[in-house]
Order: sequence, then C-alpha cells, then structure tokens
Amino acid sequence: MLSRVADSLFWMNRYMERTDGILRMLKTNYALSQDDLQYFSWQPVLKIFTFLSDEEAATIACQGRTVLQYMVSDKENPNSVLNIVTQARENARSVQDHITKELWQCLNDFYHTVRDEQLLEWLYKEDPITALDVLIKQGLLFYGTADITMARGEGYSFMNIGRFLERAIQSANILDVKFSDSKFDFSNVTDTTYWRYLLLSISGYELYLRKYSGGFEARRVVEQIVLNDHFPRSVMYSIDQVSRYFERMKSEQTTSAYNSIDFMIGKVKSRVRYSTPETIMQQGLHEFLTGVKNDLYAIGTALSQHYFAYT
Amino acid sequence: MLTNELLNGYCPDSNTWDEMYNTGSVRQQYSGVVDFLQRLSIEELGKKEEQAKRLFMTQGITFTVYNSGEGIEKIFPFDIIPRIITATEWAYIEKGIQQRLKALNLFLKDVYNEQFIIKDGLVPLSIIYSCPHFLREMVRFPVPYDIYVHIAGIDLIRDNDGSFYVLEDNLRTPSGVSYMLENREITKRIFPDLLPLINVRSVMEYPNILHKNLVSLAPRQNSNPTVVLLSPGIYNSAYFEHTTLARMMGIELVEGRDLVVDNHRVYMKTTAGLQQVDVIYRRVDDDFLDPLVFNASSALGVSGIMSAYRKGNVAIVNAVGNGVADDKAIYAYVPAMIRYYLNEEPILKNVPTYQLGNIEEREHVFKNMNQMVIKKTNESGGYGMLMGHSASDKEIADFQAAIIKDPRQFIAQPTISLSSAPCYMNGKLQPRRVDLRPYALCGPNGIRIVPGGLTRVALREGSLVVNSSQGGGSKDTWVLAV
Repeated sequence: MLSRVADSLFWMNRYMERTDGILRMLKTNYALSQDDLQYFSWQPVLKIFTFLSDEEAATIACQGRTVLQYMVSDKENPNSVLNIVTQARENARSVQDHITKELWQCLNDFYHTVRDEQLLEWLYKEDPITALDVLIKQGLLFYGTADITMARGEGYSFMNIGRFLERAIQSANILDVKFSDSKFDFSNVTDTTYWRYLLLSISGYELYLRKYSGGFEARRVVEQIVLNDHFPRSVMYSIDQVSRYFERMKSEQTTSAYNSIDFMIGKVKSRVRYSTPETIMQQGLHEFLTGVKNDLYAIGTALSQHYFAYT
Repeated sequence: MLTNELLNGYCPDSNTWDEMYNTGSVRQQYSGVVDFLQRLSIEELGKKEEQAKRLFMTQGITFTVYNSGEGIEKIFPFDIIPRIITATEWAYIEKGIQQRLKALNLFLKDVYNEQFIIKDGLVPLSIIYSCPHFLREMVRFPVPYDIYVHIAGIDLIRDNDGSFYVLEDNLRTPSGVSYMLENREITKRIFPDLLPLINVRSVMEYPNILHKNLVSLAPRQNSNPTVVLLSPGIYNSAYFEHTTLARMMGIELVEGRDLVVDNHRVYMKTTAGLQQVDVIYRRVDDDFLDPLVFNASSALGVSGIMSAYRKGNVAIVNAVGNGVADDKAIYAYVPAMIRYYLNEEPILKNVPTYQLGNIEEREHVFKNMNQMVIKKTNESGGYGMLMGHSASDKEIADFQAAIIKDPRQFIAQPTISLSSAPCYMNGKLQPRRVDLRPYALCGPNGIRIVPGGLTRVALREGSLVVNSSQGGGSKDTWVLAV
C-alpha cells in the first residue's frame, strides 16, 4: 500500500473518531447545562477539544450557544466539527480508490450535512440535541459502513489504528481535564451529576451502574475509564485494539520498523495493564495519564516515520 | 401542463440539424424516449431533474472550485434528456475514428523517426518544428507496439445537413470519460426499464478494455505488472475522474510525490518499501511530467521519469509528445495523412481550415471575419477563441493585429452551426447545441471504441461553445444496437 494512502486512511479515522468524541461531549454537556441551576461552565470541554487559551476560553465559557457554534461550525476553529469532517473528507477524497464507494458517499454526505443551514439553525436557535443527534448518527453510519463494506486488509488496519489511538488519547484527556477541575482532590467531587455526565459523555454510564451499584466514587470512575477491558472507550480497551490491528502489519520487508513500534505499543499496554486504581492514585492520576498520553503520541510519531513518510 | 404540450412547445432553429426533430416530426430513434416523457407530468419531470442533481451530489461527482481559501462543490451541469445515436450513424463514426487514429499514430511514429511525410512535401517542416508540443526528447525512441495514442477523445460535430465533422483530435490526456460512465448510471435511475426496451448499448466495458491495454504494455515479463494512474492530486478539477478510473480498473492512484526514480526505474513508496512500477497512465501534461527535462518548477511530476521511459523500463500512456498531432494547425493535414499512410479516402470530414501564414488564405479570412471562428493553435478548453459572428469590431481588430504579428499561432475555420438537441430547462424543452466526444482505445490488438461518449451541451441559448470551462454541460449518449 502507498505510504500516502496509509497516512490518509489513518488520519481519516482519527478525525472521525474526534468528531464523534466532540459531538457526544457537546450533547451531554448541553443537557447538563439545562440541569444545572447554578452557573454552568463549558471551560473543560473547550480545554479538551480546542486550542483556546484559558483566558480566551473563559470569555465564552458560559455562553452555551456560542460554544456550540464555535465547536461545530466555526471556520476559524481548526478543531471544529466542520473543519475536521472536511479534513476527513479531503483524506478520503485522495484515497477514494482504497475505500469503498459506500464509505466515500457516507463521508461525503456527512460533509454536506454539517454544512446544512437548516440543521445549523436548529443547533443555534432551537433544540441543539436534535441537530447533534443527526450529526452523531452520520458518524455511526460511517463506522457501520466501514465495518460492513471494507476489506480486512492493510488499509483497514491503518484506519483502526488511527481510530483507537485517537480514542485512547481522548479518554485519557477527558479524564485528566475533568479531574483537574477538582484539583485532583477526589473527596472534593461529591456532586453525582458531575460523574453521571462525565460517564454519559463517553457512553459509559449504563455500564457503570451495572458494574458498580454502590454509587459514584472517583476510584471506580478511574477504574472504568482507564482499566475496564469491556468498556469500549476505556484507555485499556483502545490500546488493546491498537495492538491487535498493528500485529497484522507484521511482514518480512519491514521487520525493524515493525519491531520498534511493536515495542512501544507493548510498553504502554503493560503500563496500563499492570496498574490498579490504587497504584494510579498513588502515582498521581495526572502524572499517570500524562505518561500514557506521551507514550501514545510517540507511537503516532513513529508510525508516520516508519510507515507514512513519503516526502 | 402535460408533457405533451412540452413537446409541442419545442421549436429548433430551422437552419440547424436537430437530433430529435425533423421538420416537425420526431425522429424514429427518439420515439421511445418521447413515449416515456409523454407519460410524465411536468412535476414528475422536475422531480427527475432534482433526483439527478441529488445523485451527483451524494456520490461526490463534483469538482471543487477554490475561492478565497474555501472549496465550493460544483456539479458538472447534466441534462436528463439523452442524446441518441442510431446504429447506422454509430457504425459510420466508429469506422471513421478508427481510420483517423490509425493515420495519426502512423504520423506520430513518422514524425519522430524518418519524417517521410515531410520529405515527401505533404506537411511543411516549419509547421512541425514551430509546434511547442513537438518534443526532441521523443525523437528516435521506439514506443511499445508503435502506439503513441492509447486513449483519444475525438470531438465530432454535425453541420446543418447532419453530416459529421471532426472538430478536434484530443490525443494528449483527453478527459470526461468518467462522465460517460456516471451519466449512464444516472439515466438508468431516471428512465427505469427504458434502456433495455429500446436496445441501448452498454458502455461498461470501457475500464476493462483500458486496463487490458495498459497491462499489455508492461515492459517486464511479469504476470502481474504494477499499473498506476498518475494524477496531479485532489486540487485538479478532473480528480473525480482519476479516482473513478483507478477504482474501476483496480489500479493504484498515485501522485508525483508517491513515485521515485532509481537507476532508471520507477518505484512507488509503499508501507512495505519501494515497489517497481511498470505502466503509468498519466493524467499529468507533458510539460509537468519530469522537472529534469521539461518545466523545472513542476511539483506534479517525477524527476528522472523520462530517462526511465527512454530506457524502456516503464510505459507511459499516452506517449509523450503527442501534442504535435493534435495541434490545431496540423489538424488541417489529417486528411492528407490518411491518404498518404493508408491510401484511403477520409471517412470523417475535416472542418475547412485556413492557414493564416498563407497570404491568400489570410486575405480571404480577413474579408469574411464575421463567418469565421479564429482559434489559437495551442490553446484548448475553449480559451483563445474568437467567434466572428458575435464579436465586436474591436475584438476583431485585436485578433487581426495578433494574427499579422504571428500567423502560426492562429487558424481560421468557417463557423459550423453544430446540431441541436432538446434539453429540459426551467420547465421547458429547449434546443441547445451539442457535440460528441467518443473515446477510442488503441491497444496491441487494435482500436476499440466503446459505443457511447460524452455529449457536451452549450447551455446558453444560441451559444456554439460546449466546453465545460465555458459553461457547458453534458448529456448521456445512447447508441442503439438496432
């Protein structure tokens, strides 16, 4: 497979995963802002998904609709849904002969949907959840179409490596930012709404209820988001998937490149696998998450050096 | 309003060949479509037009216009009423194009080797050497199977008596074939069950024939050669076509930056290292192909690709340097080529062409400017043209001055009216001028022309310019089997 094509497929899925993360985050936070009788701040959401400085974020943090507009359709925001879907589509466009026609059409539809004036009108003036749901569904359609139509070859592996790498980074990030809110002092967070929406925003609420029936506790939230094998958005699950798809890359020609990245993935996998909520707390959640994130970034860089370099 | 009235309201120009109507009655080949349309109401027809637009948009059959940093998606305008060609007309066109291409291929071989046609005085030496597309790099280089033109898009038009003329031979990187293929997919949806009913021939074979031809050119003895399509990239307006063709043939779509030349061999950079490339179907112009040989500032090409080509390590399709055969000044000599190389009378007519370097011909042209079309010999896409019948006095004077300054840069042709075909526009059926570009494929086993082509439409009322860059659109082209 052409290096350029592998690169584009990898990034196409990273962008799609990010889109999904942003949209879900916006949806639950909007719902939360309707629940919250006091002052509701979008600051953490802005911190996770935009490049705004704390001061810039603070100026719009309490204006829900402005935040929605900035994060969904602002052309100046490089991480707005509009811009990253456009990026994903540009990537798909340049590899149209490597993805199925259905997948291309699906992404192309997404691109036209996020530019739909009527939809954006709903988002800014009417009920934003209706509009966000339409967009989230487009993303689900993308995953479903990829699953059903794409051949299980090298391209599919690169797509999934991109997707799960992005997801692992995102989950670590969300946890990090959310806990930094309370200065990592877990006894501080007693408000259950807070936990509920954190879990809802990454679709982990129901699982949490079933698994831990004793109410919300920081230790358990960390356990679910970082360590739970069965939670598809946990850091552990995502890294396992990266590892699973990367193993398929093994070939005669590229042994040294393969081995060096395989080593890096193995290392971060063990770091998470052999942790417990207690050891993480002991080490400090922020330090632990930062370490994991740095390992994941390094894998991304190594991939582009060994597999995607074409210039 | 019923569609019946829609048909009654259609009145083509009396001085023009209309594809559907002949003095008030519907031509036989259109009766199936007319029956179909008569069963529809205007609303339904409008819905069908909407449906076509939606299909193009959702399938991403669009080209992007980049304006102030933001890309705007545009659809190549499509008219839902098909253009129909009878079996007899097609047999004639097919024979004519085959003959013409055979001669043009022989001409290219000759002009880059022995130059018999020049020595025998049929084509003046000066006209060859003054053509910027005549490339010294190709002289005495034996291309595989002596084929220079693997893919040709010959533009045909019809004068008011219905006879076909060749307007242009496109022998470099003719585009538009994906629209022939996609337009058909759309008309299948718009006219359900109609195509088999009236025996429309399929165009589906095109990618298979092309792929077979490309594979047969591979220089290495290899049962599974690597064939790639070289595209300038996503910013090219024909990018959709490149991806469509690559997908339909199952070949790799590459950009210049994906390729590298080492020891006169071309490789592509893959995730598993370098992989040798055998055949390149390039959609990059000659000038941008190799910065070491041609335009040094080209970022679209591959350094060293010409040396690999001349060594015979890679096949390039179409051959480099074909522009010398579709130059507008050399066009005038094609009938002579057919007689010279094949000893046959040309089947398809040429539009009479005046060489402006010849004083007598120039005088004649200047006297009759309002009946002439002046074209720059090295421009395409409808640029650099003067339509005498609609030009202002100043435009005419400007062109005349330019012609006197450098007559080789221009040719003149009498205005040919172009046939008209019905188009559905603003709820009415209106006549618009059309041309026809069938796509011919030359391989080691002969010349094949897929029964169909791109019918381009001049969407503005009365306009004779069909180029898409000048506001032209397209129609599906149905060739009937019987």
